[in-house]
Amino acid sequence: MQRWKRSLALPVTMVAIALGLLISVQAQTQKNVSAAEKISAERMTQMKSVLSNSQAQNTKLLEDHRVLLEKLDEARKKVGTDPQLLAQLVQLKMLEGTQAVEGPGIQISIDDRTKKAPFPLSSDDIAKLINTLKFAGAEAISINGQRIVGSTAIVLSGSSTILVNIMPINRAEGIPYELDAIGDQDTLLDYFSKLEAPGLKQSGMTVSIAKKTLLIPSYKGAYTFKQAQPITS
Amino acid sequence: MKLGNRERSLLGLASILIGFLFIVLLKAQGAAGSQVTRSETAVPSLIQTEQANQQLSDDNAKIQQELDKYAEGQSVSGLANQQLQEAKMNAGLIAVNGPGLRITLDDSKSVSKGVDANNYIHEQYIRAIFNALWNGGAEAVSVNDQRVTTNTEVFCAGSYIQINGTRQMPPYVIEAIGDTNNLSSALNFYVWYQLGDLQKQYGITRKLEVLDKVIIPAGKLRDYHYAAPAKEGT
Repeated sequence: MQRWKRSLALPVTMVAIALGLLISVQAQTQKNVSAAEKISAERMTQMKSVLSNSQAQNTKLLEDHRVLLEKLDEARKKVGTDPQLLAQLVQLKMLEGTQAVEGPGIQISIDDRTKKAPFPLSSDDIAKLINTLKFAGAEAISINGQRIVGSTAIVLSGSSTILVNIMPINRAEGIPYELDAIGDQDTLLDYFSKLEAPGLKQSGMTVSIAKKTLLIPSYKGAYTFKQAQPITS
Repeated sequence: MKLGNRERSLLGLASILIGFLFIVLLKAQGAAGSQVTRSETAVPSLIQTEQANQQLSDDNAKIQQELDKYAEGQSVSGLANQQLQEAKMNAGLIAVNGPGLRITLDDSKSVSKGVDANNYIHEQYIRAIFNALWNGGAEAVSVNDQRVTTNTEVFCAGSYIQINGTRQMPPYVIEAIGDTNNLSSALNFYVWYQLGDLQKQYGITRKLEVLDKVIIPAGKLRDYHYAAPAKEGT
């Protein structure tokens, strides 16, 4: 058998000890991680089942809604409700935001995750963008699927969650912000690209605007009046 | 240094082990990281779906109620008128009164300090105050007797601020109806203090009054040329 050099004995021993330690620590970590992964996966499946439950319920409710609306239409026709009155009702519901609308408009995608953007898009920035769209005569506006109505508040919750209509609108995947506005496409595009897009680009964000036919969902919140009394004139 | 066969194979074995450990470590790190993002996406969409469901079932109940009333043969025009009235109230087309706040903002009167951006009330202050008021549960808001509705813009056009398509000059009198305690505490935020500092330094006016009765005028209906009610979906 070959004789070991004396000088090598100490380093080799130390390396061996270190390696042994590493292996045992690694084994332990691996065990912990697999346990954590298992728990996390369980949570995930639970969350998914809750989500799919609620989505199934959503589909059913939508179907019910459609059927009921048809019945209502029929009933209204049968009793002869003034169609002008109904048209006015729809118009009012578009104004208060509880009626989903569709039509031509522009879709603005803003990505603030780029390396060049030192600050993410703030709630004030979003309010400013929406204000400009209103100025450009937008008839309906939504951000990440939340309809903008008169009483919409845009607030920062915690350090990075943005609430619109008290709903978190942050997305973990895809484009972070998507603003939809229905109205005159040329005016909207002109106003937004001149008034807002340059500023956003200057702060390092990626902005793209597309003319599209859009569907803007309804406002899902509720209007309550506890203090305000109508003035009858 | 020359290595013997034995040393070489030992070294090789050690390298392989270290490489293996390293990869396992990386994998563990990666797994822990990706888990977070996945549940982050699921929670908001769950909340949103739940909310949509809530609204849908409320809506369905309302329609069912209306259908029942039709079936009972109730006064039809009365029913339609009631709905119309409700929608008008929600949309802000009915003048209202109630307890609330009055906030007065005015430019600085001190001309001696010359032209300085901080001497003026800017559009973003007004918007930020609206936002805070809505967040505090305001039921109706107006500024200089312009009702704040879905379409209200607050846009600085140089010497005046355009609100609801009208030219508004300072002082800006913002009025809001709602629970006065909630509204007052909702105002305690950044811009309100910023305005306080500007008042001390530059002489702009920031005044808050809590009133038993505030009158807020009706907004205007608008015509829709591009948007049409959606046939499908909510």
